Amino acid sequence: MPRLVKTSFLIILLLLSWADIFPQSTSSPYSIFGIGILESNSVGPSKGMGGTGIAFLSEMSVNSMNPASYSGLDSLLTIFEVGIFGKYSSFSTVHDNQSTVNANLKYVLMGFRVNPWLATSFGFSPVSSIGYNINATAPIEGTAQEYLETFSGTGGVNQLYVGTSLKLLKNLSLGVNAAYLFGNITRMESSAAFDYSYKDVTYVANFDFNYGLNYQLNIKKWRYNLGFIYSRSKDLRTRNTTTITTATGTETLKEYTYNYSIPQNIGVGLAVSKGFFRAGIDVERSDWKDIEFSNIYFQTRNSNRYSFGSEFPLPGDRKGTGKMIFLRFGGEYRQSYLLIDNVPIDGGTITLGTGLPLKGTLNAINIALELGRIGTTKRGLIRENYVGLHLDMSLRDLWFRKRKYD
Amino acid sequence: MKGNGVGKEGKQIFSFTRVFLFISIIIVTGLIFISSCTKEYEFTMGQDFFDSQTRLQVIDTFSVNLSTVLLDSLKTSATKIALAGNYKDDIFGSVNVGAFFDLGYQDFEDIEDKATYDSAAFSLKYTGYSYGDTASLLKLDIHMLTEKIEPYSGYLYNTSSFDYSPEVTGTVSFYPAPESADTAVYIPVNALGEDLFNKIRENDENLSNSEQFSDYLKGFIITSGSPDNKSVIGFTADKDNLKLIIYYHVDAEEPEKKKITLSMGQENHQFNSVKFDHTNTPLNDIEAEGNVIPSSRTDNYGFLQGMVGLIPKLQFPSLNEILAIRRWKILKAELVIEPVYNSYDLFGLPQQLYIYDTDRENRVNTILLDDKGNPLTATLDYDDLNEEEVQYTYDITKFINNELSDAYFDYDHGLMPGLADDNFTSTLDRLLIECKNPPVKLRIYFLTY
Repeated sequence: MPRLVKTSFLIILLLLSWADIFPQSTSSPYSIFGIGILESNSVGPSKGMGGTGIAFLSEMSVNSMNPASYSGLDSLLTIFEVGIFGKYSSFSTVHDNQSTVNANLKYVLMGFRVNPWLATSFGFSPVSSIGYNINATAPIEGTAQEYLETFSGTGGVNQLYVGTSLKLLKNLSLGVNAAYLFGNITRMESSAAFDYSYKDVTYVANFDFNYGLNYQLNIKKWRYNLGFIYSRSKDLRTRNTTTITTATGTETLKEYTYNYSIPQNIGVGLAVSKGFFRAGIDVERSDWKDIEFSNIYFQTRNSNRYSFGSEFPLPGDRKGTGKMIFLRFGGEYRQSYLLIDNVPIDGGTITLGTGLPLKGTLNAINIALELGRIGTTKRGLIRENYVGLHLDMSLRDLWFRKRKYD
Repeated sequence: MKGNGVGKEGKQIFSFTRVFLFISIIIVTGLIFISSCTKEYEFTMGQDFFDSQTRLQVIDTFSVNLSTVLLDSLKTSATKIALAGNYKDDIFGSVNVGAFFDLGYQDFEDIEDKATYDSAAFSLKYTGYSYGDTASLLKLDIHMLTEKIEPYSGYLYNTSSFDYSPEVTGTVSFYPAPESADTAVYIPVNALGEDLFNKIRENDENLSNSEQFSDYLKGFIITSGSPDNKSVIGFTADKDNLKLIIYYHVDAEEPEKKKITLSMGQENHQFNSVKFDHTNTPLNDIEAEGNVIPSSRTDNYGFLQGMVGLIPKLQFPSLNEILAIRRWKILKAELVIEPVYNSYDLFGLPQQLYIYDTDRENRVNTILLDDKGNPLTATLDYDDLNEEEVQYTYDITKFINNELSDAYFDYDHGLMPGLADDNFTSTLDRLLIECKNPPVKLRIYFLTY
């Protein structure tokens, strides 16, 4: 196993350096609330199918949405996935229109089957992200003048997870992801003209467990999968530091703790597949209503997510070979957990995707285009229209089989 | 030994290096993508979601105590400018400036037997500097010194003086044209010239070496020749431009005109002495008070003037009050100085002011520096159209923050707005400020949180 050790070591090293170099960033004024914008934990092909994946087994790709799915991994392959997401957003209010562009490395993860009844996956992915840079005018008290104050936020919560899937019966798998949640939420108000910054940094950390179940039913050539996922409500342990920095130096004003909570989450999915065709639907619910934030501007409610998606191979000679090209489509509707002035900030997307084989037979690149809209311009709020591009590299290797030849 | 995936089976197997390379390429591509796409936007949406945790406030009502200090002495030697003339007004009083210098020794060439003396004059070139009313006639006299110019440890001061003969050696009356750098002003000194001409021709022993030369010709002073003068004019004081020229001709069928030039001597023997009189001005009592007088006794005025050595002193008695605020940071401290309205018609205003810190003994201590280590300056804001907001603004944030860093402000630690060193020792540039309408203001921007 020295190669596995070396590989794992290097991957972890890579992950750690990545966590440092690539803080998750988003770009949305709505990310100022709570722990920021929640990130979907769908991976690879699911991105092209509206983020649908609760009932899909991991086959040629690791599906970390449901830890029970790892049991579907090919016994010969080790799969390594890297995802990048870039997004152009146009934000509008009733009288204004502004846009942002941003791009990020989203996840790095790996999965393989250990033996016929045990499969595992580990990796790194974002849970939430915060990114805004908003200029506001503020009065200079004692004068008639105003100055530009910048509110900015960075950071987010990430997870480093290890997941295991057990095949209990021929058609029934159970899985669990043990995740370490960590990150920081940095909010700052500053002025370039007056050279100060008032900064509040919250470091968060805790362990989290996600559970999953997948049951498969075969009727003739059709396979039906039922997926179920669950995670408990969780408090994130925090450490806050508020500092003020001026030309004369930095002073720590207070150090305190403030609990950020992640709600209970339940999801159910249904998938049908035959040959290389598959389709699925997801329903997911997060119980945010019980979670309180000390922000007078918004209220929370329980939020639901609905999605559907399908994948099929391009007909022709390539079908059934390693050079097969997949097409995917899907849609998603996400209710916000936020209510601002009792107005929900719901979002919907439609996705179009493709899976392209790369050189050789084992690697693939998954590309998904996402068109979405979040929020509303009602009551002076902001609506975001966006175009996103997901890029997922799926590397499949026979690493752990090689030993047998040596 | 196993190579990295090289071998019969290795062809199908991705070696770790290849995978690693692949990942690296992805990451690098991602990085390039990110850096090329991420821009700083002037994004303003969402500002309603924020409650600012900070408040920026301005206070400009801190009281500023103003006084005027008369400095004991200013070095005025080797400034390369010879100033002469006098001026009087009701605010700054009268000032009378005289330029001391000597001539350099040279090995004189023999003069032809048939040579005949014609005339002699000191030649002066304008520097462009003037003080007062140049439209009036200016009368300047030149006198010979009766003692040699000897600097005290290398320097001479505005208060230095050397004895000179009451007898006028040469005099000139003219309308100054300080802008005409090419025009020379000549002060005829025919008698002196003839005496020198004869001594040179006769190889007089007084001219035989530098020692005897300077005993014989100790030096000169250009002084104001009339109490009615209304200006002080600057002339370039160096070897090329300040000189005595003796003209003669050699008799022949075609007379040949010739001249002998005696140039200015050592640079540090050249200095300007300043006599001033503050009688019947607001500064009447300054000397009696020990060279410092509060503005309450000078019609609320503060005085700045080069060469005379007047410099305003600012103190901040109420600055300690800011320490009573609970959580604050000073982000910016500005010192705003406005010249007294109508006080600068004839004289113009200094384009730039510097600032020095001072102490209980009213010494001009170190010059305040900016963040880059250059002298901190305040440039004149001048709105030609309506003459409003004519002011100098210093950013003294660093000074104020340093002073308050020990949670105590030392009242004795004041500031002195002044001219650049050069201007302070070689010009009569002046500025009149006051502590009322408009007062000197200390404007502090501070953040509470």
